[in-house]
Amino acid sequence: MARVLALEALVNRTLTGVRETIPAFNKLLIEGVPEEWDGPQIEVDLRRLIDACFREPLPKPDVRVLTLPACYDPVLGPDLVELARHAGLTTQQVAQIHSGSTYTVLATGFAPGFAYLGSIDERLAMPRRSDPRPQVQVGTLAIADRRTGVYPSTGPGGWRLIGRVPKALFDDVAQRIARFEPGMQVRFRPISRPDYEREGGL
Amino acid sequence: MNRAVLTRSGPLCTIQDLGRTTGRRLGLAPGGAMDRRAYLWANRLLGNRPDAPALEVTLGGAVIRFESATTLAITGADCSAEIDGAVLPNGFTTRVQAGQVLRLGFSRSGMRAYIAFPGGLDAPRAFGSASVVVREGLDGPLGRAMTDGADLRWPDDPPTGRARGVPRTYVSSQSRSLSLPLIPGYEWHQFSSLDRDSFWSNEWTVASASDRVATRLEGPVLRSGPQSLDSTPLVDGTVQVPGNGTPLVFMRDRPTIGGYPKLGTVDPGALDDLAQARPGTRIRFVRADPEEVLNQLRERRAFFRLDA
Repeated sequence: MARVLALEALVNRTLTGVRETIPAFNKLLIEGVPEEWDGPQIEVDLRRLIDACFREPLPKPDVRVLTLPACYDPVLGPDLVELARHAGLTTQQVAQIHSGSTYTVLATGFAPGFAYLGSIDERLAMPRRSDPRPQVQVGTLAIADRRTGVYPSTGPGGWRLIGRVPKALFDDVAQRIARFEPGMQVRFRPISRPDYEREGGL
Repeated sequence: MNRAVLTRSGPLCTIQDLGRTTGRRLGLAPGGAMDRRAYLWANRLLGNRPDAPALEVTLGGAVIRFESATTLAITGADCSAEIDGAVLPNGFTTRVQAGQVLRLGFSRSGMRAYIAFPGGLDAPRAFGSASVVVREGLDGPLGRAMTDGADLRWPDDPPTGRARGVPRTYVSSQSRSLSLPLIPGYEWHQFSSLDRDSFWSNEWTVASASDRVATRLEGPVLRSGPQSLDSTPLVDGTVQVPGNGTPLVFMRDRPTIGGYPKLGTVDPGALDDLAQARPGTRIRFVRADPEEVLNQLRERRAFFRLDA
């Protein structure tokens, strides 16, 4: 991911006719303006940039860290108990491990404001459900394989639900949509159920 | 502001333009008119900016009562439009008086009609566009289809002069079979040679579950392709093979990333024809020449004066 973001920065700095770049996991999509891009030439330019990118040392990760309060609770996260059992841990240990790491936004997509965060500790990894739930509440914190994320709006979802971020953090649409950008660092701060409600949960 | 009321919105009526210019990095769909050619012609006939917001009417059924006199342009699917009982030719500008009512019947051929207004419809904008993406359900009008009784407003007085029409050669194909030029993508060689041959030689039909997100196909099943845990970026026209094995073609309200194997990308020009393809339309894929696709795209962009 760090390499993809380095390439993205290089592309935006040196290539003309770029409309938008979309990084996702280990891929980078570059949208170009047809008039400014020559098929064979752009291929040469891109190869050169990729080579240059691999020769440079990796840039340091984004220093900004977004910290989101999260309540790890079996009522708010109905799969918490099952995931803990699957991992051979207590629910408290799951919360501790999950909130103990800093994650990177590896991709956005699925719904406006959804970010694929990773990678989570492999002890917490669990495949998604085979039958997605028709209704997952806004703010629900979830896990699928080595990824974690927060549902930005109420809707269907197949990830394992382990807790919730206060709903109040999703009230402002503009903020909700633009919260996560690829490469951004994210942490979760565990909060109690009463704190969750005080911070606008419900 | 000139004004009209959408007294009936039919199955699906949304405001569209050329789609969002940014926001895909944040995971937002591009949105925009499904049949860009028809949409661009509607604006061109009125002398509008190419990206002026217009109405996209899916399958017809819309009724508009005009409170200001104007000139409008209707293109795309033929919905037997009438003004106070007089039949309107499709693909032409038409003069409307205040108090008159425009009615669109059920579309006889094609899926989507476009109605453009002088200067473009007045609409909220985000990410460089007024396009509505219903799937995302953003709060406010940008996330909602039009409902009965919606207000339509536009700034300009009607241009004077005689009616203008779309030259016949530029009307999107609305035939019962389509051949879609495809540029094989970077995962192409990870499909079995059996599947690759089968892809060129077989025929699919457009499924009724198709929508603004994707044109889904029914027919032969492809079983190979790379299996990856992480999703990869998509573009308009990406052909993906989901779990059920029948290909789908991503359209304007698509997600920005997808996790299933991808065969390649359909020629952007052919997506306009596909946008008008009714369920049951027969689809074949033919290998596209990337240079040729790029040249045609440039020609078309120059013709409609698109520069971004």
